[in-house]
Amino acid sequence: MESLGDEPWDVVICGTGLQQSLLALALSRSKKRILHLDPNDFYGQHEAAFSLQEADSWVTTHTGSSGAESVAQTTTAAPAEGSAGPGGRVFRNANVWRHPEAEANGLTFSRAYSLALAPQIIHTRSKLLSQLVSSRAYRQVEFLAVGSFYVHEPARGDEPAKLSRIPSSREDVFSNTSIPAKSKRSLMKFLKFVIDYDSDDQRDVWQAHADTHLSDFLTTQFKLDDDLRKYILALTLTLDGKVTVANGLAVIHRHLTSMGLFGPGFCAVYPKWGGLSEVAQVACRAGAVGGGIYMLDTSAEVETADVHDKVSLKLSNGISVQAAALISSRDDVSHGETISRLVAVVKSPLKSLFEATVEGAPAPAVAVVAFPSSTIPASESASDPPVYAMVHSSETGECPNGQSAIYLTTHTSPSAKKNLEQALGSLLATAAEQETPICLYQLYYEQTVSEGTPLVETVGAVPKFSFPSPSPNLAFDDSSLDTVKQAWKQVMGDEAQDDEFMIFEDREGADANDEIYE
Amino acid sequence: MEANLSACPTYHAGAEPHPTSILDPRQQSPDNEKPAAPTSSHPQLQAHNDHTMAEAPKPSSSVKLVLLGEAAVGKSSLVLRFVNNDFQENKEPTIGGETLTWHATAAAFLTQKCNLPTRTIKFEIWDTAGQERFASLAPMYYRNAQAALVVYDLTKPTSLVKAKHWVAELQRQASPGIVIALVGNKLDLTNESGDADSEGADGDESGDARKISTEEAQAYAEEESLLFFETSAKTGHNVSEVFTAIANAIPETSLKSTRGPGAANAVSRGGDEQRVNLNGPREAAKEGCAC
Repeated sequence: MESLGDEPWDVVICGTGLQQSLLALALSRSKKRILHLDPNDFYGQHEAAFSLQEADSWVTTHTGSSGAESVAQTTTAAPAEGSAGPGGRVFRNANVWRHPEAEANGLTFSRAYSLALAPQIIHTRSKLLSQLVSSRAYRQVEFLAVGSFYVHEPARGDEPAKLSRIPSSREDVFSNTSIPAKSKRSLMKFLKFVIDYDSDDQRDVWQAHADTHLSDFLTTQFKLDDDLRKYILALTLTLDGKVTVANGLAVIHRHLTSMGLFGPGFCAVYPKWGGLSEVAQVACRAGAVGGGIYMLDTSAEVETADVHDKVSLKLSNGISVQAAALISSRDDVSHGETISRLVAVVKSPLKSLFEATVEGAPAPAVAVVAFPSSTIPASESASDPPVYAMVHSSETGECPNGQSAIYLTTHTSPSAKKNLEQALGSLLATAAEQETPICLYQLYYEQTVSEGTPLVETVGAVPKFSFPSPSPNLAFDDSSLDTVKQAWKQVMGDEAQDDEFMIFEDREGADANDEIYE
Repeated sequence: MEANLSACPTYHAGAEPHPTSILDPRQQSPDNEKPAAPTSSHPQLQAHNDHTMAEAPKPSSSVKLVLLGEAAVGKSSLVLRFVNNDFQENKEPTIGGETLTWHATAAAFLTQKCNLPTRTIKFEIWDTAGQERFASLAPMYYRNAQAALVVYDLTKPTSLVKAKHWVAELQRQASPGIVIALVGNKLDLTNESGDADSEGADGDESGDARKISTEEAQAYAEEESLLFFETSAKTGHNVSEVFTAIANAIPETSLKSTRGPGAANAVSRGGDEQRVNLNGPREAAKEGCAC
């Protein structure tokens, strides 16, 4: 262990969240001396995935409503790098619930579960996928298809509540029987517009309205009725329901142009075994194969900042190390946007949600269900934000066969938890084939988001780059990759060549002959 | 040492679907015709390449195998012997990886085939890349591993203690059906350096550095239902036998034909119909155009 402190490190990375891990991947062929730490005893930081046991222990350190209670990772007074300082915590108000007869009903051993803290779907057009391919890290991740998007429709008169599948291709719209012909024409016109929305011709249609609400724009410009507006807004996956025209069109454009890219019938993928946590682990492994040193359960704090061109760090295991650059993550989240999350394990495969809708499509493992604000039964006011449920089948490896993991998200409000529970109840009542399935396990918590930009400072003579906390988005946002590249440039300095970022040859030994098995 | 040698005649190389195996001379090695022979030299390696092409293809399955064991017990050396039939003296250990050699040659994982009479097993051999040093192995390392090689140095008692720790960790973290082989390496440093079962062992070893008796380790292996071997990565003794025995021990039911890159997912539920191939049809976005 002594040797850790002998020579200075080119960079010490604190935290194994997705962005720091992708940075480690980006630097894995650079010959830089890299020490990669995490104060937690698990990989993934804010993007981690937990067994039931790990979730229990995580809850005990994230129960309070502020950062005032014990900061689990360090006993020292100074905030440790990469852990939550007293200024605020990304996750809080966590609690866990188990069905009184959970085991009898099928809740099985802890490691049969891999519950993601902040799951995101990845659109097939995302640069994350192309970077995982060009960096050769993708082979170790299994990607599953995200299937249908649904809108929950509450009971209307005699009609019971139901889940309506959102048509998201031309064929879908044509074959849909519940949309009146006139509405279909409006919808087709809108979809055609979105595909091409950023062209010179089309920009005139929306640029004057760029910062207004998408919902109003859909009414005034495209005469979409209530139902269709609900569909379109659901596709934007925005948590406050007030997405602007510019942002909304960009997201729907991404959705439509991602459809079919890697095969028919899906526009997004999800990494098996816990989503981005798996990508972070694969990226860290690439860092280790490249020579980086990994230490979990270890935090660092600045000891002295005035040793020549280095900073001296004291690790929580007592070792002192020197670093020429520091990478960390922003924990100043006190005033940021907050979302509420409910993770539920239910005793049903919810098969009806995972049917492939196009011939030749891979069986979907994830379904998205939107509850527009007005459809939440208990909602006290129509202004309650929408709830989104990402339903994961056992194919994700996040729960055993015969069960499903459901991730519900909404904007935090006094009624957020109740709204999430109501939405879960409505979902189970409408998605189940026969009787309403029972819920075995629930994990609730709130997540606060820092400013979306990195914090670039100097500690003594040494640059320190802090990644923003993960975005609350339900779909992976490519802008975080720009931040990774920015950090990479900072570490690489003059050696950084834009066109070499994340582009690697296969290492010798990685099997170039795999193709023959296909 | 109960390697079932006859069950895996690797010279039965069957249908080599491609002749590009720079990495796997071993599979054509004649070792198993004379199971007890030291494997340090392979004069006939090249000769065996040719008459293997004509036979009908056998089913081929990918098996993820993970390596565990204390630093410097020779994990990487065993794999290099198996994969490249190579051994390098005096490797400098690095802080990060097991050895510089691993990093110089390799990678995320190395592959090597083992030809059984009825099927071909393609091992994807994963090294810890040093992540075990500070108890920082990720769950993804164990994920879907169907086999594990837990290595100790039979001249170093603490390394068996560590090996037992890894066996416990595998029982906790890995798939329930995982095949674990316990391997005592560095047999070349003992008096039995050649082979117990062949007469003319190389006799120029002086002294016996063995600190862990065969009986002790074997008793532990039996208790935990592990395969057990003593090997020398240096001479090659018993190395291919370990992998052959593992290949034979993997239940047929947990094997699936390989599809797609890195597809060590044979034990995963569901299987390949669900997987999305990122090298898929990037251009053919027909479904997508809603216009």
